[in-house]
Amino acid sequence: MTDNPQDKSQLVEEIIEVIAAEGMVDRSKITPDASIESLDLKSVDIVMILTALEEKFNVYIPMDGSLQEAKDVKSLIDAIADHIQKEREKQ
Amino acid sequence: MAASRGRAGERRVVISGMGAVCASGVGAQKLWEAARDGVAQIRALKTQRPYDGRIKIAAQVPDFNPADHIEPEVLPFCDPFTQFCVVAADEAMAQAGFKRKDISGPRTAVIIGSGIGGMTTIEDGIYRYYVEKQRPETLSVPKLIPSAAPTTLGMRFSALGPTFAIGSACSSASQSLGLGMQMIRQGLVDKAIVGGAEACVINATIRAWEGLRVMTPNLCRPFSKGRNGMSLGEGAAVFILETEESARARGHEPLCELAGYGTTSDAKDPVRPDLEGASNAIRLALEDAGLEPGDIDYINAHGTATHANDITEAEAILRIFGEYGKVVPVSSTKPIHGHALGASGGLELVITIQALREQIAPPTINFLEADPRCPLDVVPNVARKHKIDAAMSNSFAFGGINAVLVVRHAG
Repeated sequence: MTDNPQDKSQLVEEIIEVIAAEGMVDRSKITPDASIESLDLKSVDIVMILTALEEKFNVYIPMDGSLQEAKDVKSLIDAIADHIQKEREKQ
Repeated sequence: MAASRGRAGERRVVISGMGAVCASGVGAQKLWEAARDGVAQIRALKTQRPYDGRIKIAAQVPDFNPADHIEPEVLPFCDPFTQFCVVAADEAMAQAGFKRKDISGPRTAVIIGSGIGGMTTIEDGIYRYYVEKQRPETLSVPKLIPSAAPTTLGMRFSALGPTFAIGSACSSASQSLGLGMQMIRQGLVDKAIVGGAEACVINATIRAWEGLRVMTPNLCRPFSKGRNGMSLGEGAAVFILETEESARARGHEPLCELAGYGTTSDAKDPVRPDLEGASNAIRLALEDAGLEPGDIDYINAHGTATHANDITEAEAILRIFGEYGKVVPVSSTKPIHGHALGASGGLELVITIQALREQIAPPTINFLEADPRCPLDVVPNVARKHKIDAAMSNSFAFGGINAVLVVRHAG
């Protein structure tokens, strides 16, 4: 499923929903080029988002460099999606 | 350079003995050998009840039978964190040349740090009450209180002086050493039994740690590219502090001088480390020891292998040490003994003291390649002979409490 663009876009959509709900961010603010600062996400918000994703997708996402270094929404979502897809392949 | 020793008029404090229990087993020497030789003690997780979490590894004390070490009349009062502490304290007392009652009386303090205290007793009690619909075991309360470790030691050694637990998460053990040193310097007591103890590698606690995303599912690799977190550890480390004068008077050769202590609070974020707080603690510890940055020959880092800690710690070291910070050996031994939380500063001080005594900088194992954001000499993967006259140990805790210790050769 990794290479299926439709699956990927659905995954991205679901991740955005979680970010909006858990990070308490207005859904319309979460655009690919929006900076992480513009969403006012704190370290604890990211932890809450990752916990919700863990429960939704049944995966463990450690806080590694790809997440910490993400500067915009696109790179954050890509990093999360990458983790989820890698974990799914292992299952 | 010849730096002045301590502050005028204050008593110089030495470490006369030390003991440790951790994933390498019982004994400070075993811990040092594992750290020096780069042998990781992180193994497949073992729990009494089935564990359904995602992290399957931890640095647990192996093959530990408390009844081999602790009397049957004392053992019922001992949660595992107290058991580890008693065993480490017996080793420290023996190395200091003291029999059980040799330092009894009101001039001996007992200060033991623990992040949580009797977590196993807490968790078992909750499980029995909510799941098994039974009451928690009768001695739950005296077992689970964080002060159970220092008071059990106090009873063991008849120490009647100031006795309490320090709860500052991962800085607990280092703060207990620092405070014990200050109390002796100021003449409030003559001896102090200090250290840290922790035993919370248990189901709900591991699950809670998982939630914070700071645990690696595979390998702990501090300061390395590709790092993704720490592994939980457990154990205890205990030290006997006294004045250099009293050790000499009884013909005892101390392990080293406990020369400096710096502690600060970030007062900013519950989980994110802070450059100001960490670097100020390092600076204060140096000032307290009367040393310049260039006098420190080895640093045992907090080095949790979380993305954020290692970058902030590297920045803090470079801020205080300047260009020398890029070449002084800095290693994190957490991939060896795990992150034992309230005990970690004590376990790491055992290693720091042995590094000083054996003139060897232990390695940072599991290192793949340098992270440009951590431009330190982390002694990658292999120990190194190194001339060490003074060494530093860093501890930085959740909540933002920082504690840094400095040791050097006694006399």
